[in-house]
Amino acid sequence: MSTLHVLSHSPFGDSRFASCLRIFGEHDALLLCGDATYALRPGTAPFETLLGRGLKLFVLAEDVQARALQAPDWAKAIDYPAFVELSIEHDKVNTWL
Amino acid sequence: MPKSLLLISRQAPWSGPSAREALDIVLAGGAFDLPIGLLFLDDGVLQLLAAQDARAVQQKDLSANLQALPLFGVEQLFVCADSAAERGVAPDTLALDDVNVLDAAQIAALIDRYDQVITL
Repeated sequence: MSTLHVLSHSPFGDSRFASCLRIFGEHDALLLCGDATYALRPGTAPFETLLGRGLKLFVLAEDVQARALQAPDWAKAIDYPAFVELSIEHDKVNTWL
Repeated sequence: MPKSLLLISRQAPWSGPSAREALDIVLAGGAFDLPIGLLFLDDGVLQLLAAQDARAVQQKDLSANLQALPLFGVEQLFVCADSAAERGVAPDTLALDDVNVLDAAQIAALIDRYDQVITL
């Protein structure tokens, strides 16, 4: 079974990011949107964690653009239609509200 | 002598109305010549990243409000060094000139100096 985890809160000063990665399953994927995309700031603890984990990572392109961030080559930048497809491809979606 | 106010802005720019409202309070205070200071703490330091694109998320740009601060007489501008370092924000790349970078002890002393504090 695969789960798409959706994070939308900043990884700094919030425990969702760490908790999500702790319970992350073998076939799962992670989508960063909203302030969760700040995890892409190079050299930070969340960035290094993602880099080290090598998990299947997607980021919402417009949120990355709005925050003057850059998607690294190990993350796939997607739009909303691709987000919908991703939701359908996985057995379930876990949104960390 | 009016009471002095320190506003602590600690939310990222596009996560909700807090960042804009904090700036609005400070600009309004500045327009009335209140002694007012602004501290960017925690995710608030992300408001100061250069080259952001508000239109990508259907929001209004905040950079004009930031640039207006000195014009409204708001010159007491501070950034938390720890918050900036944790988020990979280099103090010399901020989208705001003449910001004082403070460590935790200096921030404690800063809050002491003001009569009133608002944290958003």
